Amino acid sequence: MTPLPTANPTLALRRAAFRSVPEMLDYAARGDTGVTFYSARGEPLSALPWREIRERAHVVARKLIGAGFAMGDRLLITADTWVGFFDAFFGAQYAGLLPVPVSIPVGIGGKEAYLEQLRRQFAASGAVAAVGLDELAGFLADAAKEFPAVRLQGGMGAIESLPEKPVDLRPLGADDTCYIQFSSGSTRQPHGVQITQAALMANLQGITGPGGLDVVEGDRATSWLPLYHDMGLIGFLFSPLSAQLSIDYLTPRDFARRPMQWLNLISKNRGTISYSPSFGYDLAVRRGAMQVPADLDLSSWRHAGIGGDMVRADVLDRFAQTFESKGFRPSAFIPSYGMAEVCLAITFCPGGSGMRTDTVDRTALAEAQRAEPAANPSDSHRARRFVVCGGVLPGHRLEVRDEGRVLGDRAVGRIFVKGPSIMPGYFQEPEASREVLSDGWLDTGDLGYTLNGEIVVTGRAKDLIIVNGRNVWPQDIEWAIEAQKVVKSGDAAAFSIDTADGERVVVAVLARVAGDEAKAALARDVAGAVREAVAVDCDVVLVPPTMGLPTTSSGKLSRSRTKANYLAGRYAPKPAAA
Amino acid sequence: MIVENDGTSVLLRRVPVRGEVMAEICTQLAPFRTSDTQVIRGETAISKDLAIDSLAVMDMVMELEDRFDVSIPMNVVAEIQTVDELADTILKLAARR
Repeated sequence: MTPLPTANPTLALRRAAFRSVPEMLDYAARGDTGVTFYSARGEPLSALPWREIRERAHVVARKLIGAGFAMGDRLLITADTWVGFFDAFFGAQYAGLLPVPVSIPVGIGGKEAYLEQLRRQFAASGAVAAVGLDELAGFLADAAKEFPAVRLQGGMGAIESLPEKPVDLRPLGADDTCYIQFSSGSTRQPHGVQITQAALMANLQGITGPGGLDVVEGDRATSWLPLYHDMGLIGFLFSPLSAQLSIDYLTPRDFARRPMQWLNLISKNRGTISYSPSFGYDLAVRRGAMQVPADLDLSSWRHAGIGGDMVRADVLDRFAQTFESKGFRPSAFIPSYGMAEVCLAITFCPGGSGMRTDTVDRTALAEAQRAEPAANPSDSHRARRFVVCGGVLPGHRLEVRDEGRVLGDRAVGRIFVKGPSIMPGYFQEPEASREVLSDGWLDTGDLGYTLNGEIVVTGRAKDLIIVNGRNVWPQDIEWAIEAQKVVKSGDAAAFSIDTADGERVVVAVLARVAGDEAKAALARDVAGAVREAVAVDCDVVLVPPTMGLPTTSSGKLSRSRTKANYLAGRYAPKPAAA
Repeated sequence: MIVENDGTSVLLRRVPVRGEVMAEICTQLAPFRTSDTQVIRGETAISKDLAIDSLAVMDMVMELEDRFDVSIPMNVVAEIQTVDELADTILKLAARR
């Protein structure tokens, strides 16, 4: 099987000048480019030109319409990287249905947590149909039991076995919603971001345009990112599609197994654009360094993007050192920043400038919320290095605020953004939407400061924990502990701390037991409950009940103050030096 | 016996015996023992009793898949709790191939 061509010989490259996903696919289908799926060994498994993806989607759409699904009905899809996802997603787009991509289960013993997540996603999206990988059909059926509105579920065969009727297609248009994006993570309170066609098109214009990746003829995308994350789906399906590029895919699992295949694919097919959170670059260095093929040539890679979690300068430095001899250009690094609430991207570093950092004084940062240049940048005890994440996309605005006041350069505050990429709200959740949207401005919940028109992100959404690229909501951890009746409600606070090896989850619990043995047992049970529920290894710190856990003025648990107490050594045992 | 070395792992083509599978699992899990679970046994609950996170679990499953030339469907992986269940799953799949 030969890879699909990088450029279309006759079709002119049109960069995100479309009004909807169906329009985008209609245009790309006039060329020869498309997507190729690769195995863990780097062999092409199947190749689908955009033309074929469109034809297959039309068949699926006629089946869905013929089966009586209404415009706007939600179709839940397990978003593994396989052809079924393309069939279901694009089929829904031509049938007027809204896809709801969901993740696949994580590892050993993950069944119950996965079913629980599916149930909450069924509830939040009101899905009436659900399809997925054959091996997950049983889980879909299990989770759907409580939802009588779900009238079709199973593997892709559930759709394939429907009769194809001679009905007109009902493609979603410029004024419609496109799909529902679960902000990757919270299983207890899933917020489905309503991605509209208009916002998506605006964001794609930004991503592929001069303020973003400035996509040109000859570009080729390579991705192992999961399609249930905005960075995988919008960044590495819709963005390349919007510019009629070919894409080479590895599944996230195969990337984790053989990270070097990511770089091999770029090298072999002369990929030019590929993204990863920092941890992917780290994995490629740590696991891949032993298997670097002699002929690896990364010189074609012009945009090595970083996003999805805090950009880690040390990781990128190591990656550049390891692969510079293989043609990798450090100037290809493009740190960027975004979130599902703006579809995907809001800032990009200028192409070709590589990673730029700003090293600031730790004391001023912690005590005065000021990012003052460090007197001695090499003294890591006193200086902290942050990665500059670029300027806001054209047509958008970004402000850093404190208590409503817009701050100047180097003052740390909350990041707010505004513009055509912003979501109208969380799907059917007006209250949650009002909490983050006001006057067209989105409160990102992230902290950072501006520097000559660029943003430097200093901390993520205040409580969100990201472990190995996975978002974990602290309340999921706390609820898991409470659900196992290990401690009672409000007695546990989860947060993460930065360590040299990445993020480390810490759970502070009130120790309402006496004696060393009982305390040890409590700590063990807490750690066990956390591992079982969210598959994360954590440190447990016991807090005397007399001390209590800090609360906000409204009586809610304050994780940030718990964390501050912990870092200040107020809880025993003292934290190991980070 | 061991017939092929694909550069990343040594593949076992014949159907393994239970002892081999258990030994391999224990080797893989050894770095994740805790002060409470110092010895890995059949009834050890992998993600509950050991200090192993999701990435490491995925790694281990993949190592075992490579080693015994089986592919464990993700729904089956999600239902496995203990070392015994993992070993039985691998043996069953290896016998079927």
